[in-house]
Amino acid sequence: MKKAEGVIILWWLLFFTLHAEGTSYSLPGKPTLTNCRSPEKETFTCWWEPGSDGGLPTTYHLYYRKESSDAVHECPDYRTAGKNSCFFNKNDTSIWINYNITVVATNARGSTFSDPVEIDVVYIVKPNPPEKVTVNVSWNKSWPSLRVSWDPPQKADTRSGWITLIYELRIKLEGEDKWEEHPAGQQKMYNIYSLQSGGTYLVQVRCRPDHGFWSEWSDSTYFKVPDYFPQERSIWIIIMIFSVFIFLILIWAIHMNSHTLKHHILPPVPGPKIKGFDKQLLKSGKSRDAFSSLVGSDFPPTTTNYEDLLVEYLEVYIPEEQGLMLEEGKDLHDGSLKSKSYTSDSDSGRGSCDSHALLVDKSEEEKEVGQKSNQQGGRTEMDLKRPEESPEENILNYSHANVGSPDVSCEKVKTWPSLFSPLTENSSGPLDQPDSPEMAKQHCLSDSLFPPSPLSSPFAPPGHKEVLGSNYQEYSFGNMHPHVLHPQTGSHQYLQAHGNMNVANIGHKGVPADLQLPPVRSTEYVEVQKVNNENMVLLYRVSSDAEKGCPGRRHTEEYSRLKGVNNDNGLLLLQRMVSEEEMNICPYEDQESSGLTDSGYTTSTAQKSTAYIPPATQVLDERVAGGYVDTSMFTLPIY
Amino acid sequence: MFQLKSWPQFVLLPLAAGVCAVWVGMVCLVFCSRLSGMKAASICGNAQAECHFLSLANLFDRVIQHSARMHGISNDLHSEFELYFLPSKNQVSRVGRNCHTSNILTPNGKENAQRIEREELTEVIMKLLAAWRDPLWHFHQSVARNHRFNGYGSNKSLEMSDMAHELRKGVQKVVEKMQTLGVISNSVGGLASPEALLAADGSGWRFMKDSDLLYCFRRDSNKIQNYLKILKCRIVPEHGC
Repeated sequence: MKKAEGVIILWWLLFFTLHAEGTSYSLPGKPTLTNCRSPEKETFTCWWEPGSDGGLPTTYHLYYRKESSDAVHECPDYRTAGKNSCFFNKNDTSIWINYNITVVATNARGSTFSDPVEIDVVYIVKPNPPEKVTVNVSWNKSWPSLRVSWDPPQKADTRSGWITLIYELRIKLEGEDKWEEHPAGQQKMYNIYSLQSGGTYLVQVRCRPDHGFWSEWSDSTYFKVPDYFPQERSIWIIIMIFSVFIFLILIWAIHMNSHTLKHHILPPVPGPKIKGFDKQLLKSGKSRDAFSSLVGSDFPPTTTNYEDLLVEYLEVYIPEEQGLMLEEGKDLHDGSLKSKSYTSDSDSGRGSCDSHALLVDKSEEEKEVGQKSNQQGGRTEMDLKRPEESPEENILNYSHANVGSPDVSCEKVKTWPSLFSPLTENSSGPLDQPDSPEMAKQHCLSDSLFPPSPLSSPFAPPGHKEVLGSNYQEYSFGNMHPHVLHPQTGSHQYLQAHGNMNVANIGHKGVPADLQLPPVRSTEYVEVQKVNNENMVLLYRVSSDAEKGCPGRRHTEEYSRLKGVNNDNGLLLLQRMVSEEEMNICPYEDQESSGLTDSGYTTSTAQKSTAYIPPATQVLDERVAGGYVDTSMFTLPIY
Repeated sequence: MFQLKSWPQFVLLPLAAGVCAVWVGMVCLVFCSRLSGMKAASICGNAQAECHFLSLANLFDRVIQHSARMHGISNDLHSEFELYFLPSKNQVSRVGRNCHTSNILTPNGKENAQRIEREELTEVIMKLLAAWRDPLWHFHQSVARNHRFNGYGSNKSLEMSDMAHELRKGVQKVVEKMQTLGVISNSVGGLASPEALLAADGSGWRFMKDSDLLYCFRRDSNKIQNYLKILKCRIVPEHGC
């Protein structure tokens, strides 16, 4: 039994040993063809990778079969190309023919075939790297340029056109990592620019056929760039010059347009500007000239816009002395037209109402009155309705409406203190009633409105008759119909004049005597028709026979100064000797509406002629502005 | 803001003139530099012989470029075809491939190609080109009809066919030129027309598969290109050989 077991064990051991030997002696591993390459398209080499050898010496054989031929050939040369390679020489190489190549590994146990590989030599060409890479430095002016040149690999026959090679080179600075590659096409040289002066460079070249693989890079060729001065700044110099040029142009443009720029950026602050006002004159002290432009030249207005001539109030001018009046009278007596009443009107703001001649009374009362009137803007106003509006009388309306009368210089028409003073005692009411309701117009009633009275004193010499005549004319009203002035009953137009009869009389005593009524020229008169209950004077125009064609008729405003009220309650109006320039002086009477004094009427002795208001009429007071009554202004009185 | 009208005339005019002059000068500089480099492109008119040789080389270059392009297209088509239509690596069927132009004797080595006469080489080229006129057209029709390839493939097949046709005409011109110059004998022209040759071949190409057709044409286009290069470097070697 033991022997049998021993035999069995021995057999088993032998079996195992045999098996063990069998694993080492196995078939060789399967070799693999790694690649086949041809350097010049005339020969080619195939390499394979052997598998495990199986423990036994293994031999490898390469067999190939050409296309369209079943003949199997073995590799002609196993040595030339090294181990595990097969080299096909020119005689054995056919182009444009498929090779079916197989490698067989053989050992004692057997052989193993590799996978077949089909190749066409045309497509496995991998040339050798280019040779003789040289770098030449050539100087172009003071600019170095490098030329890299090389030769094709020796074996590749490019001269016959058998192979066409395409080259590529790369360059880098010594010490850097990144290469700079440049394709060179089929040419065998290449120029390099823009290199660092004094730098050391490496250059390499490689090639490939039009349908093939790239060769290996050639060996690095070192070269050193000589020192030179880079002249690529010339273009920068040109750019700098051009930009400087443009900069200068811009500066010039800005300089030329500096003013417009200033105005654009910093607009000038507009200063106050009065049309026609010259600041220089003011600075030089000639205030008169400076203000001359402010004075409207169209005054008195030719257009019969009476409303514009509305005078708001009358300013009472209280003369210093009573003797002034007498002096005036003397002047008047002389017949000098140029009464001081007018000369005193040096300031345009003051109406001619401040004629001294008119200031009959220079008593303190006058002053008071004047002051009062001034304070209250005592105004006598005669508003005469426009002819177009209604056939109302041209009775003055008094209002205190402070309507700016632009052109009328009668804004400051002065009242006659003599007229006012007695009235103020009696009728302060009217004075206190500043504003008549609607009255916005102030007019002066010219003495032409009033019937000629003996009291009217001619101031103007005959030479001025024409002028005066024009004053008397009611043509100053423009197109007013003379009959329009007929008073209407119940009209609202009233002439209210305050005055102190006494006062008036005082001063007038001498005057009337001196005064002489001028021959009534072609003037129209207004006749006071009646006085209503309110002591309003209704005036109507008297168709004047004396209307003579006055050559010098002017359609200007005519004013007459209310001189005073006489005893007979007549309104004395002075015919104003109005020169043309003084036409703008508009005495107006600001009407105080309501309560007029019952002190009667005031009669003013006009310089030339006085409009006489019959005593039947009660002349309402009002502060007759020492100025003029504008006969041309016939407007409706508005209460 | 800037009122050009306010600028005085004596400032504006010289300024504009100066700017224009500078600009014109710079433009002239650029163009003059370019013009100087273009002098080499003058057409020769004096020496006829030199001109003819030059022109022959030029003709050769054009033909070679054309053939290179044609080969590139065929290569693309072939690889695309293999990628999409023959994924299997088992290329056993390849071994049995037989191109219809196999009967045309073509030099398959450099020595053979250099040994052959230029007239013969020219004939080979002509034969090849003639042999592929119909198959390529047929191939294009097949591709267009069957929608085998994508649009890219269809366009390429058409282009390939057209290029083969044009290349043939170009090579004919080169041959005529060479015969005019006496470079080659007139025996080339004396050959039977390619159509006759084709008739001898029959219509074996009709039974080729598309894959084989592409493979064959890729090879033949390479041959054509290579032969043309050899011919050129043999006849006009001084330019680019």
